[in-house]
Parts: sequence; C-alpha cells; structure tokens
Amino acid sequence: MLDLNFHLVLAVIVGATLILLPLIIGKFVRPRIPTPEKDAVYECGEPTIGSSYIQFDLRFYVVALLFIIFDVEVVFFFPWATIFGGATQLSDASLTSDAVRMELTDKLTNFPAGTATAETMISAETAQTMALVGFADILVFFGVLLVGFAYVWSRGDLDWVRAMVAQAKQAAPSRRATPSLVETHEAQPV
Amino acid sequence: MTAAVMATTLSEYLQTADWAFLPLDAVWADAAAAVVHITLLAIFFGLPAFVFIWAERKVSGRIQDRLGPTRVGGKFGWLQSLADGVKLIQKEDLWPKAADAMLFRVAPYLVVVASFAAFLVLPFSSDWVALALDAGLFVALALLSLEVLGIILAGYSSGSKWSLFGGMREAAQMVSYEVPLGITAVIPVAIAGTMNLGEIGSMQSGWFINWFLLRDPFTFLAFFVFFTVTLASNKRAPFDLAEAESELVGGFHTEYSGMRWSFFFLAEYASMWFVSALAAILFLGGWWTGIGPLDAWVAETLGGFTANILGFVVLVTKASVLVVVQIWIRWTLPRLRIDQVMMTCLKYLVPISCFLFLATVLWSLFLPHVACFGLAKGMGERTAVMAAAPRAGDLSAVDAPAVDSVASFSPSGEGRR
Repeated sequence: MLDLNFHLVLAVIVGATLILLPLIIGKFVRPRIPTPEKDAVYECGEPTIGSSYIQFDLRFYVVALLFIIFDVEVVFFFPWATIFGGATQLSDASLTSDAVRMELTDKLTNFPAGTATAETMISAETAQTMALVGFADILVFFGVLLVGFAYVWSRGDLDWVRAMVAQAKQAAPSRRATPSLVETHEAQPV
Repeated sequence: MTAAVMATTLSEYLQTADWAFLPLDAVWADAAAAVVHITLLAIFFGLPAFVFIWAERKVSGRIQDRLGPTRVGGKFGWLQSLADGVKLIQKEDLWPKAADAMLFRVAPYLVVVASFAAFLVLPFSSDWVALALDAGLFVALALLSLEVLGIILAGYSSGSKWSLFGGMREAAQMVSYEVPLGITAVIPVAIAGTMNLGEIGSMQSGWFINWFLLRDPFTFLAFFVFFTVTLASNKRAPFDLAEAESELVGGFHTEYSGMRWSFFFLAEYASMWFVSALAAILFLGGWWTGIGPLDAWVAETLGGFTANILGFVVLVTKASVLVVVQIWIRWTLPRLRIDQVMMTCLKYLVPISCFLFLATVLWSLFLPHVACFGLAKGMGERTAVMAAAPRAGDLSAVDAPAVDSVASFSPSGEGRR
C-alpha cells in the first residue's frame, strides 16, 4: 500500500513538474505584451456578444444518467469477471491433472499457492455449477440494465435531434390509433 | 546485470544488496524504487509525443501527397517535434480576460497528470512494470477517464463559446463511449480470470494462436470494437468533435496558446500510445513475439534480462503500429457529425459490445477448453502453467514466499527492473 502511495504521489509531482518546468523556462524567453485584442475571447474577429456562461440545451442529459447506471454496472462486472474466468477455467473437464486443479483452485479462492489439497480442490462439475450460477447472476444484473436501455431507446431519448425525430414519428402512420390524453378527457361526457 | 538484480523487485534488491549505502530500510527502498520507476516512466511518457507528433505530420503529408516536415534534423525532419517545442516555449502565455484564470491554468495539469499516472500500471515486458496491481486494468481505465475531466474543465474555464461547446461535446462523447470501452475491456478479464495486466499478458505466451484476439470469433470482433472506442476516448478523428476545427475553431483549446496548448497534445499522444499498448496486452499477445519457440529460446539461452528487452521491443512495436493505424484512420475518414458520433456509440457500439460480452461469456461457459477452434491451449491450462513456472528472470521464485494475497497489491510482483 505504501508502495502504491509513493508511486501515485510521485507521479502527480513529476507530472506537474513536466508542465511547470517548460513554463518556468519559458518565463525568461517569452514576451509579455498584453493588448485588449489578446485579452479578448476569440470569435473569428467579431466582437464577442455576451458571456459564454450561458444556458443551452444539454442534449445528453438522459444519456448521462444512463451512463452513470451503465458504468456503475460495468464496474461490478470486473470483480465478477475475475471469479467467472477462474470458474470456467476449472470447469474444463480436460484438465485431469490434480496439480493443475489445485493451482487453479488456489488462484480462484485467493488463498496462497499450495493451500488446496486433493480433497479441497474444486472439481470440474462444481466449477461448472459455479460458472452457471455466476452466469445466471450476471444475466439478471445485466438484464435489468438492458431492459432499461431498451426503454430509453424506444422512448427516443438516445436521439440527438429529438424534435425532428418526433416530427418524423408524427408524420409516419401510427401503428395503433391511441387518442391523446387531452382528447380522451374532452371526449368524455362530463 | 547480476542475477541478484533480476531475481527481485528493485525495492527488494535495495533492501538486500550490500554495497555503498545499501541495504536500505523498507520505506526508503520503496521510495527509492518509486523514484527510479517514475524517472524511467517520465522519459517514456515524453517519447511517444515526441515521435508520434512527427509521425502524424509525416504520415498525413504522405496521405495528402505532400512531403511533411523535411528540414529539421536531416532528411526526414525527425527533429521537428523538438523544433516545435523550442518555438512553443517562446510563445506568449495568454488567457482571455473572460476566462476563469485559475481553472484555465489547472486544466493542463489534470490532463497530463492523469495520462502520466496511467503508465504506472502498464507492464512493458513480462517483468517490467512499475506497479503490478491485481486491479491493474481497472486502475488504468479509471486514470484514463480522469483525463477527460481536464478537457471538460479547459473548455468550461476558457470563457469562450467555442471552448464551452467543445468541452460539452467531449463530456457527451465521454459519457457514452466509456460504456462500450468498459464492456469490451471486461471480455479479456472474463477469459483470463484476472485484472492483473501482467497475468493477462502472460496467458498469451507461445504461438500467436494463443492471443486473445484469436480465442473465439467474438473476442476477435471485441478487439475492433475496443480499438474504435479508444479512438473516440482519445478524441481522435473521426470522433474528434471536441476540437472540430471546421465548426468550433479549435474546440476546447481555442483559447490556449504556446506551451499550455501543447500539453494537451503531449497527453493526447501519450494516451494514444497507452491505449494501443493496452489493446496489445488485452488482445494482441502483449510482449510476446507470437512465435513461441523464439521467446523460449531467448529466455533460456540469452537469459531473463534479454527476454525482457525483447518483450519491451515487441510491445513497443505492437503499440506503435496501432498508433500509426490511428493516425492513418484520422487522415482517411471524414469527421462525423455529433449526432452521428452519439448514435454510433449508443445504437451500435453499446449493443454490439453487450452482445460480444454475453457471447464470450457463453463460450467460456460451454466450451471452456476450446481456444482458437481447438488449436490453442485451454485457458485453465495456461493459467496453471503461468502460476507454476517462475517468471522470466525470476530466479528467486522458488524460495520466495507465495504471495497472492486478497489485498490486491502483491509485493512479489511490483517493479522488476
């Protein structure tokens, strides 16, 4: 852990130095002649109109929400994949050597090498069951996500230009004639 | 190079050797080893930028039927990057009045530090890695995605509308392309059963049929998806919407000039090389030549150190070829529109990568012993061979205590140099 910290701290220091050093050297050789034109924001030679800190349409808001869920799920895929990978390797029935099985068992269970014995090593059938259960787990986990993804897709949230897609949908003949909520409400006798 | 140096990690060597001021205490030895690692990595961090900025100009020149740089440093203009650096260092350091000056100046640091820190976990050869983390791939991806924050910050803090749109496009692109990147990176992990990049690489030793690329048709496709996504995550054309010159002037770096501007490119080219090396390790057999007997012969007759040098040369070559392909793609394909970029990811790459992930997992589940249509060894056999055999040059592995702890930072694997 100490080792990791040393490396990370040093990487930050050295990375910052890589930038700082040329900038400091540059300080002695570069000119500093500010003019109003240089201090202005570049907009192709035109005077700027207003600040750049403006409100504009963040198209990808739903995509960003989707990303958070997707990416958090993918984060959990990694530890799952390490175990699943180990289990499928053990489920290989063509591995008949006990020594090989013991090594793979130690690796999968994360015990020091040499812990597993001929009795405690994982057999091909057990490993196959483990892998199947793991697969069922990830199917549920992944399935929930994919259903959500399909929903967002069918709702049209993945379309960048939503207005045009909506127009195109309206122009196309609807598959089932669903009256809009307002119409239904008006149509009902009060 | 004595056997003692090869047998241990640098830190362990400094704790056991007996000359001059050695041996050192554990803490000081760790610190000294870290200094050596970081120094070497810092040199290697600068090199890709130096070489590939020149290569990009040369390749783009040829593709457009020009000569590219020809003057600085002889016939091929190979010192062009140095000349660029000397020029950039003399440029006035400007930022607009409207900019958030503090954030504007912080952004390049974030980009460069994140991109540099990712190199910590990259194995350059079977024994050459600064930090052999069991969560190596995970850490690498996490640090790489930090780089994007610097780009968004640069765009936001510039006070220019071009930059703001560039930064926001980068954010949109990042939030969508991270997903297929993660899913395709999980595929090799699900095959190898480890996130340790060193082990993933070691499992692909021997003939090239052992490479994960050729394991099954789905990993073959996964490599191409991974490569496409890394293009986007490095904002390379045809996905370079964040700096689309034709519409956003310079995108997120419109207001940057001189040296500060160049840091973004230092980081971009270093990351390009990094993701290419990552792709090489995950799918293309890492530091193995692909000719099994050759690797074995070098390790046996010429020794572990030579084998490491060979591995280093092979990995650098593979990654560099991929970088050249990235450059080639940039100068061949036209830039996509932003809605096309998002659609490519969300409606094609995400479903494709989900399918490839499930297909590879099913393959592992029902055909665990089949790799490369039965030509290559099964994964279990390979893992066992890897666990049993001492690593190249690791003479002390026989005596060394078996350390494969639950805490993921195994001291036996770090920093063999």
